[in-house]
Amino acid sequence: MIVLENISKEFHSKSGIVKAVSDVNVHVKKGEIHGVIGYSGAGKSTLIRCVNLLERPTEGKVYINGVETTSLPLPKLRKARNKIGMIFQGFNLLKTATVYDNIAIPLKLLGYDKEEVKIRVEKYLEIVGLTDKHKNYPNQLSGGQKQRVAIARALAQEPEILLSDEATSALDPETTDSILDLLLKINKELGITILLITHEMNVIQKICDHVYVMENGHVVEQNNAIQLFTKPTHPTTKKFLNTISQRNLSSALISQLHVTGSVTRLTFVGESAGQPLLAEISQKFNVQPNILAANIIELKNGIVGNIVIHLTGEKDQVNAALRFLEEHGVGIENLEGQS
Amino acid sequence: MNRLETFTDQWLPIIGKSVIETFQMVGISLFFSVLIGIPLGILIVLTRPGQALQNKILYQLSNLVINILRSIPFIILLFFILPFTKYIVGTTIGVKGVIVPLVIYTAPYIARLMESALLEVENGVVEAYTAMGIKTRSIIWHVLLREARPSIILGLTISTVSLIGATAMAGMVGAGGLGDLAYRFGHLRYEVDVMYATVFILIVLVQSIQSIGNRLAARLKKD
Repeated sequence: MIVLENISKEFHSKSGIVKAVSDVNVHVKKGEIHGVIGYSGAGKSTLIRCVNLLERPTEGKVYINGVETTSLPLPKLRKARNKIGMIFQGFNLLKTATVYDNIAIPLKLLGYDKEEVKIRVEKYLEIVGLTDKHKNYPNQLSGGQKQRVAIARALAQEPEILLSDEATSALDPETTDSILDLLLKINKELGITILLITHEMNVIQKICDHVYVMENGHVVEQNNAIQLFTKPTHPTTKKFLNTISQRNLSSALISQLHVTGSVTRLTFVGESAGQPLLAEISQKFNVQPNILAANIIELKNGIVGNIVIHLTGEKDQVNAALRFLEEHGVGIENLEGQS
Repeated sequence: MNRLETFTDQWLPIIGKSVIETFQMVGISLFFSVLIGIPLGILIVLTRPGQALQNKILYQLSNLVINILRSIPFIILLFFILPFTKYIVGTTIGVKGVIVPLVIYTAPYIARLMESALLEVENGVVEAYTAMGIKTRSIIWHVLLREARPSIILGLTISTVSLIGATAMAGMVGAGGLGDLAYRFGHLRYEVDVMYATVFILIVLVQSIQSIGNRLAARLKKD
């Protein structure tokens, strides 16, 4: 559905050439939700703007539904853009138009007749749950409601793809959740493919099938959401994971605990999450697991559990216990203290 | 009472004629200034670096022309472009002769006010419409001009008021108007009453234009 092939984007500024995006590849299949996460300045905003060519990549090609859009002449590009909706952090609604007109005006400009415009506005206002607000102006709405209008505006073109440029970053946590639920609903019920960028890990956690971690213009790690949450490899990915769960103990504490046993992080996914494995190793290997920290993360496609344990017992037995856990599908990561 | 009656008998027709002349000058030159100024304002916004029709040469050229015209005081402009005025309207005197300099004086001013009004419109909205595949022409009409309407109205109000000020100098080429009346009769002939009456009318005129402008802008704003 969306293929970005070796995309690079350079900006010329007074201080020289800035490479915002370097050689990035993205492939979103129909009906999936992919997320790009990164700190501000990582190049993710430039990247998403390359998808509908609001930003022309310096190098690389963009394919939408198999059509290479990077080489399309403007009238054909406009047609292609009709099939790509976009929502923004700042909502970007007309301040001087009612909610109804904010959705109706673009449709009129795209040449739909009055009847069709009316049908679509009403349909999508209902989907976003704002039917009773159609006569209000944007300034009379809350942030979440404004974003719903923006979503209705994007959906009213009946696009196949929705791009979300930090759509929830200006919203409070509760409103963020309701907007994310709406995006999930759109994805499921209308089958719209979504590519979003964000700096919030909970957005990724809640709705993404596949994740790209961006830093300094590069994708430093990418994986499906469950893999990324269970086996993060890049330090930046780990930092982002720490934002939603306290995964790290202080190294001083770890060093202290190392005197009496090993400190290990266990990651449970899918089946292994359902078994009483800690009780089992305690009996089988005569080791004493002490739980230091634990959390559970609900992803779109599954559940990931994290437990940090302090394992005491005979060294051979401890190692055998860890091997046993690994055989049962538990992720093992030894935490080292200060050396 | 008697004094008022003699005053109105003597001066009302003259003042009335001056009011009509002022309205003519302001009305006609405002019409042409808007016709030139608004597109010019749109041009300098759209040709600016990073905008839809970015064009360095056109942008800098139109900026230069606007700045040059805005540097010349109206009284100088009036005489400076006499040959041009003659070429365009065939005469350099009367209401007809003053329209050309008034337009050349006001249009660049309107263009600048238009520019700042249009720049107030959030670029993100334009971007959202571009992302939907909507034509630049439609975006100019339905996004830029629509969203800038309150500021445009306020800008036009300011230019109308300054246009009224400029017409005071139109007497120099025999175009008449309220300013000319106040100057020739009020100042040169010491008819103080005429001066007061004219100034009063001008105050009422400016005040009402500003109020109408403010009210219209507020109604369009929807905040």
